[in-house]
Amino acid sequence: MKKRLILLLALVLTIGTILSACSGKDSATSNKEGKDGQPYEIKWYTIGTPQKDTDKVFKEVNKYLEEKINATVKMTQIDWGDWAQKSQVMINSGEPFDIIFTNGTEYVQNSQKGAFLAIDDLLNKEGKDLKEALDPALLEGIKIDGKIYGVPTNKEAARQTVYTFNKRLVDKYNFDISKVQRLEDLEPMLKVIKENEPSITPMATFKAYLPFDYVFNNEMPFAFAIDGDREHVINQFESDLAMETYKTMHNYYKAGYLKEDAATSKDSWPMDVENWFVRMGDSQPYADSLWTRAAKYDLVSVPAEEPTTFNDSVSGSIQAISATSKNPEKAMEFLNLLNTDPYLRNLVDKGIEGVHYEKNEDGSIKDLPARIDRYNLPTYSLGNHFILNLYENDPKDKWEKFKEFNESAKPAPTLGFHFNSDPVRSELASITNISKEFYPALATGSVDPEEYLPKYNEKLKEAGIDKVLKEIQKQFDEWKSEQK
Amino acid sequence: MKKILSDIYKNRIWLLMVLPGTIWLLLFSYLPMFGQVLAFKKFRIHPDGFFASVINSEWVGWENFEYLFSTSDAWIITRNTLVYNIIFIVVGLIAAVGTAIMLSELVNKKLSKVYQTSILFPHFISWVIGSYFVFTFLSTDHGLLNHVLGWFHIDPISWYSESKYWPFILVFMSLWKGVGYGSIVYLASIVGIDRAYYEAAMIDGASKWKQIKHVTLPMLKPLMIILTIMNIGRIFNSDFGLFYQVPRDSGALYSVTNVIDTFVYRGLMNLGDIGMSTAAGLYQSAVGFTLVIITNYIVRKVDEESALF
Amino acid sequence: MPKELQTQSSIAVSHSTNEMKGGGAKALRKKYRDPQHLHPVVNTIISVLLGILAVMCIFPFFYVIIISFTSEESIVRNGFQLVPKDWSIDAYHYLWGMKEQLFRSYGVTIFITIVGTIISVFMITFYAYAISRPQFKYRRFFTFLAFFTMLFSGGLVPTYIVVTQFLGLKNTIWALILPLAMNAFYIIIMRTFFLKSVSESILESARIDGASEWRIFFQIIFPLSLPGIATIALFSTLGYWNDWFTALLYIDEPNLVPLQSLLMKIEANLEFMRQNMDVAIMQSSLFNTIPQESAKMAMVVIATLPIAVSYPFFQKYFISGLTIGGVKE
Repeated sequence: MKKRLILLLALVLTIGTILSACSGKDSATSNKEGKDGQPYEIKWYTIGTPQKDTDKVFKEVNKYLEEKINATVKMTQIDWGDWAQKSQVMINSGEPFDIIFTNGTEYVQNSQKGAFLAIDDLLNKEGKDLKEALDPALLEGIKIDGKIYGVPTNKEAARQTVYTFNKRLVDKYNFDISKVQRLEDLEPMLKVIKENEPSITPMATFKAYLPFDYVFNNEMPFAFAIDGDREHVINQFESDLAMETYKTMHNYYKAGYLKEDAATSKDSWPMDVENWFVRMGDSQPYADSLWTRAAKYDLVSVPAEEPTTFNDSVSGSIQAISATSKNPEKAMEFLNLLNTDPYLRNLVDKGIEGVHYEKNEDGSIKDLPARIDRYNLPTYSLGNHFILNLYENDPKDKWEKFKEFNESAKPAPTLGFHFNSDPVRSELASITNISKEFYPALATGSVDPEEYLPKYNEKLKEAGIDKVLKEIQKQFDEWKSEQK
Repeated sequence: MKKILSDIYKNRIWLLMVLPGTIWLLLFSYLPMFGQVLAFKKFRIHPDGFFASVINSEWVGWENFEYLFSTSDAWIITRNTLVYNIIFIVVGLIAAVGTAIMLSELVNKKLSKVYQTSILFPHFISWVIGSYFVFTFLSTDHGLLNHVLGWFHIDPISWYSESKYWPFILVFMSLWKGVGYGSIVYLASIVGIDRAYYEAAMIDGASKWKQIKHVTLPMLKPLMIILTIMNIGRIFNSDFGLFYQVPRDSGALYSVTNVIDTFVYRGLMNLGDIGMSTAAGLYQSAVGFTLVIITNYIVRKVDEESALF
Repeated sequence: MPKELQTQSSIAVSHSTNEMKGGGAKALRKKYRDPQHLHPVVNTIISVLLGILAVMCIFPFFYVIIISFTSEESIVRNGFQLVPKDWSIDAYHYLWGMKEQLFRSYGVTIFITIVGTIISVFMITFYAYAISRPQFKYRRFFTFLAFFTMLFSGGLVPTYIVVTQFLGLKNTIWALILPLAMNAFYIIIMRTFFLKSVSESILESARIDGASEWRIFFQIIFPLSLPGIATIALFSTLGYWNDWFTALLYIDEPNLVPLQSLLMKIEANLEFMRQNMDVAIMQSSLFNTIPQESAKMAMVVIATLPIAVSYPFFQKYFISGLTIGGVKE
């Protein structure tokens, strides 16, 4: 038995080495491709439901690219729900490709793991125009240990959370929404709606918002205050604000303003179903008109906070160049063009003129049915917004307003700071699980915070939250001192 | 050397028969085993692909295991995996044998056939579909159960966030899917029992109950033992779909639904922690391996022919 | 015929002989309380108990069918009802709207199920037969080779690399077939089956007659082992029909997505929307094709129906195949 085991092991190892040698040779030969005159094929993975006309559009794209940079692009879309798992496997397996969409913590983790190429040098050469076109706050925010690992998308760089109301109901009952600032201010309106509108759920399920700058995300108990002491990390669930907010939420829940299964509901409250009165979301300039267009009835929003530039708001959409790319220079040339050349950017985003959209005389555009049916691409995940054609019902100053919005935002305390969680990863694993258990119930008001919040904090203590807070503070202080 | 060659030639037909399977096993099972060394490494991606990444990643010894066992999860997933499987084995055995005996004793054989067909149905259903079935009952706003509770003026329960119900739901679902298959295996064996035994028992004036106790059950005993021992050998593996899809991956339920298989999956897919998830997988294999060796030893004692190796 | 073999084949027919016996005894039973039969009261109780169990097993499927014919408003207002207030075929209308994808996925599923089952049956029976023969000198090694894989798997990422990088199967139909083609567990089952049902003596006489091993295999072994093969075939049919995970890993092309995977995808996309509401709302035009509850249930129905109507027909083979290891002298 033991003998057989050893024999097997030997077999596995031999085959492994033989095959790895083969694959090594493979990569060496394909390396040459694209460098001796032939156009290099750039493999690009991005998020979204695969579209029927992708090949058709990219034929046009490639015609243009071959001329401009002697390259072609093969774009593959991976469906929304599959993305997280599939991209994880692809990256870990070291699959050779050139460009991949990434964002948020995924970006940070994979950069730290070595999956992406640091592109500082490329940005100074092949990506020179691109660098100029980008909002500097974006580049600053996505630096990890001083290096840039991806091209952020030029769009709104800041985040502003808003309460959005169903305008028809606001008008019907003559509510004064301009006074709404905090969660408590909603109470009288919710009451009226609950009593008079049986078919409407007063609150579309949302998790009560605590205005902090989060080290990971709003579920994890590590945050910096935005106002006041911006230098020290705290557990936001120990703050009075958390207790107050969750109490209010719990009262709302008890009063029936939210659905009973709020904590675990999978309902995404699509805009086009008019069955809600107020919801919460992240805003951008002219968001109301955008939402109104999607919903097909009027919406109106009031801000719940000042616009602030957070780490996650600048890293909402990034194109990273893979460490396994055979020709990173070409990949950068393409990204450079995609973000600075209006023709290419619009072609990739909106499709072919006359097939997927029509251009009006004033330069604004209008979708044709084919765009919705056969080439419906997400705009946010592709590239620079500010060179996109405007739709005919877009305000003319849309992109100017975006730039103003970005400039008016104030930076969050940890903008550009990315915590390296290796030293405390076992504590974090436990804390993540505890948070998954408590947070959704608390934030949707499904449970009584007087009972559960202390329980939650106690469990966090047991899981070693203090050690993590200390480590964060240490790394933050080091980072801070390097900044100066 | 010459002897080896001539041996190979003598066995050429057999070797040819195992060839396709062997190639498959080497490619899809043995080659990937190379990746198990990641349990002892701190995985860093290398531009030259996965093998280069594995080779160039730094050795960290038992660190991934230490990390795994320092979390409270290691205990929870081990406990859940073991306890659920023990319950499944015990309850499953009783239910399957009981159902099989009832089916075999039923006077109306046509009815018995109809029943057999019905209870076998869940066996053919994937857990993807099964999770939808469960959802129609447990959905908080639309589900049948909350509807029925409403008749008794009981407040609706949000099933997918209340962990206390899930041990029962999971055992129930496991039975639901497994009892048909299990009972039919036993039924086939009961049908194969020589009628002469029963006739002898009847001459002795044994009642039906006595016949079951003294003829049927003893005749089923070897099969029961073999199947149970084989299940014990797999006690460290669990039905992924039952624990992942049926609870709809609901975070609030992790404390009672997380088993080793789902933990390994989530570790890789959600956290991207390939080192730790490989370590967890290796832990599962190692314990499972030991268990199988032990059970095989016992099987061999009980019934040599059923031993696996 | 050797004794072991007789038992094996007699099982397939034992059901019917048993029934005949039962039928013959029927006349007698009325006069005497024959201890071979149950007391009528007990029989009724058992019938009812088993009846409840049987209903529990198939009820969910009928329930899902009913829901799929319920109007969406009725679901929102009254939940999933056993007898809906408003019936509607909107859900199937909706599915008809995506018929291209649906037929495609159906086709993919059927193709991989058939081709995959054939391939795996051949690979498994050859392998299992060889390692069940005492003449095969290396049988212990090859048994262990298969058995070992039951315990140690390679893990997801390395397997992914083999399939995509070494074999280059990504986005091909073979990526859905090959990774599931073998299973050590089935090999072991089949080996046990051959050990028990194929005796050396019958092969010996065939060999004396000058038949080659291949002829023996196809002309004697294969027909003899049909119940076992049917069982393995059924296992792999189910494996292929119900598989969604391989497609998640290896398929980006909508043209190659099988049915179950399509169902998973819809659910996964909904989950994504829920977790990324800001994206979902900003890009709402992208998500306007998300099906409603009744449509999802309709998909469940069409994914289950083929299995539900066909399994009662092959159940017979399945049951006789299951007696492997079951009957022992």
